[in-house]
Amino acid sequence: MKRILRNADFHRFKAKTIVNQKSNPDSYRDLNLKDMLQATNLTKTYGEQKALNSLNLTINEGEIFALLGQNGAGKTTTINCFLGFIQPSGGSASINGVSVAENPLETKKYLAYIPETVMLYPNLSGIENLEFFSSLAGFSYEKDELSSFLSKAGLQNTAHNQRVGGYSKGMRQKVGIAIAIAKKAKALLLDEPTSGLDPKASNEFSEILRELAQNGTAVLMATHDIFRAKEVANRIGIMKEGNLVSVIDAKEISANELEKLYLQTV
Amino acid sequence: MRNKILKLISKQVWTSKIKNSSTLWLIGIFNGLLFFALFSGYKYLVNQQETVEHYSLEVRERWENRPDKHPHRMAHYGYVAFRNRFPLSFFDFGMDSYVGNAVFLEAHKQNTVNFSEASLSNGLLRFGEISAGMILQLLLPLLIFFWGFDMVAREREHGTLRILLTQGVSWQELILGKSLGLFALALSIFVPSVIVGFILLIFNEFASENPQSYIRFFFLIISYLAYFFILSVLAILVSAKAKSSKSALTSLIGFWLFFTLMLPKVSQVVGQNLFPSPSKIEFDTNVEQELIRQGDSHNPNDPHFKALKDSLLIAYNVDSTHKLPFNYSGYVMREGEKLSAETYKKHQAHLVETYQKQQNVVRFTAFLNPYMAIKNLSMALSGTDHSAYNDFQNQAEDFRYHLAQTMNELQIKYIGNKVKTSADKKAIISKKHWSDLPDFHHQFLSLIQVFKNEVISIISLIVWTLGLFFLVNYSIKNLKAF
Repeated sequence: MKRILRNADFHRFKAKTIVNQKSNPDSYRDLNLKDMLQATNLTKTYGEQKALNSLNLTINEGEIFALLGQNGAGKTTTINCFLGFIQPSGGSASINGVSVAENPLETKKYLAYIPETVMLYPNLSGIENLEFFSSLAGFSYEKDELSSFLSKAGLQNTAHNQRVGGYSKGMRQKVGIAIAIAKKAKALLLDEPTSGLDPKASNEFSEILRELAQNGTAVLMATHDIFRAKEVANRIGIMKEGNLVSVIDAKEISANELEKLYLQTV
Repeated sequence: MRNKILKLISKQVWTSKIKNSSTLWLIGIFNGLLFFALFSGYKYLVNQQETVEHYSLEVRERWENRPDKHPHRMAHYGYVAFRNRFPLSFFDFGMDSYVGNAVFLEAHKQNTVNFSEASLSNGLLRFGEISAGMILQLLLPLLIFFWGFDMVAREREHGTLRILLTQGVSWQELILGKSLGLFALALSIFVPSVIVGFILLIFNEFASENPQSYIRFFFLIISYLAYFFILSVLAILVSAKAKSSKSALTSLIGFWLFFTLMLPKVSQVVGQNLFPSPSKIEFDTNVEQELIRQGDSHNPNDPHFKALKDSLLIAYNVDSTHKLPFNYSGYVMREGEKLSAETYKKHQAHLVETYQKQQNVVRFTAFLNPYMAIKNLSMALSGTDHSAYNDFQNQAEDFRYHLAQTMNELQIKYIGNKVKTSADKKAIISKKHWSDLPDFHHQFLSLIQVFKNEVISIISLIVWTLGLFFLVNYSIKNLKAF
């Protein structure tokens, strides 16, 4: 009985999201807040293959948006379009109202990017890496300021002056976060940031993301971690073969429902 | 492009390389090699300068101390002209070791410049020819490529490139910043050798006699700086364009082989085939044949000289050459010398022109190949190129002509017409006339002449330096962040 009910719930839910997506993909968005990340008919084709098909997506300041989908669904392509590493075949991506294609250097001022594995210079310490990357972004911080960014990102004090070569994946991820904090990024792009992290590190990571969002940062996170997505995100999108097929308000769905929806979608 | 970012990136290149002990070893070894090359080159230069000075004095002394004799005998006693080394020749040996150092000058005959270092050495020269110029032109580029090949490609493979670019660094800044860092590494090898070279130059007394040595050294430094900068940017560009750091290394080593070994050889062969030059025997035969056609001054029945004789007899209204108011055979020899020297000069000029054409084929490859530009320019500024040698040959020939004609004039003026042989008492003039002939002094090419000769190389280096900025701007459009 319970199971049938659940299924019924699910179908009701699915119908709703699809309708929502077609009529207005931003139906769960708080329209009083400023648009930070915006994709308009964003398309990327490689020969015959459509890696990204007319994606429309807007993410507010302070909002966390999780992108789910199989490998090759177009999550990373979306992020790379926002980063300006890929030239879209059609449509546009803009950050804080500035088009990425037209002003790639301008848009990078608002951006921070944390890949699956944050790669740093192994010969430099955490603090030296942070100093180098912040200086490149045009900031000059004192040592104690840099140290406080690292602490804020959750990196233990003892590691600040150690060579990054000896860091664990989670520690490097934290330096990546510190780089984003130091840059005062308005938008954070994350590509499977928690994959390979232990549950504790993963949980800490979510905490920090929430904190950043509370301070107004817009977060776009591609992930495979359905439970993490449900827990940390405000909205969740599911992608399939280059299309954003559903957008769900995270509050309105349980993790189990989300998983089912995911499995049915992809 | 922001200077601060360039500084940051280049500094990062520098510090991350310097932290590596193998880099320090390489810098040390190259500096050691350069110092060795500079010191041994300098020692050799001083040795040569002293030898030339010593023997020039001896030649002069012997000439002036010849006893009273017939001037034509003096013309055959002859003179030896020594080629001086340019004070900068210790920096880049160029062709110095392969061209002759001394030439015997006498009447009627243009002898070959002999006693090159290569002709006198026992084959060890093959090992010993390491000049600072050669290390800087040939080996340092290899090191620059070795250091630079992975500077962008590795960051791309490693993933730091994406974070770097996300921090708002533009591709131009990245490439130029990395190039400047690489350039700074090259300077860690170049600058010490420049300082040592400059000190050696100051110590050389011949440099102060030729102040243009300092100016030439200054331009030599500028040229090498341009060369290293070009190579640094090229290495970084290849690293940025390559699919992987491995393929970047392969391409760069390939370029190095092609541009320093293959292209120079191929262009040389092409030049020689397009503009064939006669062999030494062929050349001498050609000159001789033309001289025979013109007339033989030693043959009394030669038509050219018979006509000359007849016109003289008419002009002075005498019936025999013995009655002329001057020495007739001296007059004939002066005429003969003039004819043969002109003929030789004409042929020699033609030969040099052919050489020039051959060299220009090689020279023009400098627009493809910065190595060729620096090689030619460095040789020319160090005074060890073919033009410098050719200039010496011309000066020696001019002196030879002057010597022969001075002796002929003495004969015309002081020797009676009735003397039978040069051993005759009346055929002898005082030895005090010998010092009328000025000593031979090898003068170096002027700076302007050097620049004129190397205008192609200079333009090519400038075009390369400016062209790189276009190349960077052009190629960044297709660069990949991952």
